[in-house]
Amino acid sequence: MTDDRIPHSEIRHRFDAELDGIKHASVALGSLVLENAGRLTEALLESRVDLAQEVIDADDPVDRAYIDLERRVFRVIALQQPVASDLRFLISIIRVAHEIERSGDLVVNCAKGIYRQQGFHLNSQMQGVLARLCRAALDLFGSSIESLAALDPGAGHRLDQEDDVVDALVGEFYTLLANESEGMHVDTAIELSRVGRYMERIADHAVNIGEHIGFIVTGIFPRHGEFDEGGSA
Amino acid sequence: MNDDRGNEHPEAAARPDAETRPAARAISVGAVLRNGRPAESGASPSLIFDVQGLRAFYGSFQAVADTTMQIREHEITALIGPSGCGKTTVLRCFNRMNDLIETARVEGVVRYHGVDIYGEKVDPVEVRRRIGMVFQKPNPFPKSIYDNIAFGPRIAGFKGNLDDLVEESLTRAALWDEVKDKLKQSAYALSGGQQQRLCIARAIATSPDVLLMDEPCASLDPIATLRIEELMIELKRDYSIIIVTHNMQQAARVSDRTAFFTVDVKETGMRTGRLVEFDATEVIFTRPHQKQTEDYITGRFG
Repeated sequence: MTDDRIPHSEIRHRFDAELDGIKHASVALGSLVLENAGRLTEALLESRVDLAQEVIDADDPVDRAYIDLERRVFRVIALQQPVASDLRFLISIIRVAHEIERSGDLVVNCAKGIYRQQGFHLNSQMQGVLARLCRAALDLFGSSIESLAALDPGAGHRLDQEDDVVDALVGEFYTLLANESEGMHVDTAIELSRVGRYMERIADHAVNIGEHIGFIVTGIFPRHGEFDEGGSA
Repeated sequence: MNDDRGNEHPEAAARPDAETRPAARAISVGAVLRNGRPAESGASPSLIFDVQGLRAFYGSFQAVADTTMQIREHEITALIGPSGCGKTTVLRCFNRMNDLIETARVEGVVRYHGVDIYGEKVDPVEVRRRIGMVFQKPNPFPKSIYDNIAFGPRIAGFKGNLDDLVEESLTRAALWDEVKDKLKQSAYALSGGQQQRLCIARAIATSPDVLLMDEPCASLDPIATLRIEELMIELKRDYSIIIVTHNMQQAARVSDRTAFFTVDVKETGMRTGRLVEFDATEVIFTRPHQKQTEDYITGRFG
């Protein structure tokens, strides 16, 4: 009697195509936010209020793409009964999408600060530190999106280490801000401190994305290991 | 000829039935369609079936309560529900297979391309040629693979190239590559999944535009099941498919629209099937409107 067994991927190719589509959509969502973040950096460093407004306006497509992605994942979970790595992937994409969407909101929050201040008009020293901070945070975010595309299991550990650079730059920025703040309006200083905080949080979201990618591939969530006493229940 | 469930021997489905063929003035569904009789008012171009007030009885026992539903062309429609809810009875109404059960009686209207298939002058054999059926247990004829496909067309007086027809049917059923070098072998030498695909090829060979499937994967292993499901999704390009399944996850995976039937038990103890909800499969499995539907698909009842 002839054997019916053939490799799984040849059977559920529509399901596999849907999963690929979801991965591409999540990378595209990340790219949207990254693009807007680039716009923000220019607005920040060149005091471009018009660009800040563009950043704010560009959030709607991000929100729509996020909602669309979540609906798509929900639909696949409901209709295709995924298990194992497929289930880990889909659950993780929901989390990753949320990290990306929150990062997008933080980019917009920075832009709103620029808008409220009608540009920060920073001295060259402040500009220099802020530029390095933005570049480091957004490079980290960009790296997390690349890791998502490649499903790189080492992303979590690597991004966590690179985050130390961002944290150090945030510290440097706050130190400089503290020194410079006497000559500033207090609300300007507050807005600038928020920008530093938002950049730090964008970097944290990137680290989280890396951890979710690791979970997709290995089924292990790094932080859970802290509570694992070596045996399963 | 029929088993206890009224399943007809598959050869009978292909053989002209002298007892049920009306007299010479009978008009086949095909002739009505060929004559260009316009569809009855209310039929949409994208509908394949328009069911109005369908009720099915076996003697005095009412198996299916008043059912109204529209089946769309080139979609897979799933009928789900607990045992005894009448979904198989409803399925068999679509190609008049219930005619073959002596006590069976159908009331209401089942329009196919705008023509009521239970109309007086409709030839049920022609109906079954156009609306093919695949059963739960693969039931190939005790013949070669080739003759399984060729039998129906031969009986129907097919004048074209049988070899081409056999190849096309087996190709469409995603079986050709596995059997092309052994067409003369017995169909019984094939695995369960292959036999079921052979049965699908056999149904396709008579050029239907509808395939009715009564739990086609119930006797197959999971891999063979997934292959049949993939095949169904490919087939809906050319056919409209209605499937009865006990496996609601299968309904979720393959169908475009899902009809949920339940069983009402009267004081007398009579169990009658009733259509509860019929909607896009995505709606049924993510936000059904009826609590009974939600309870069934979440496994709280059934």
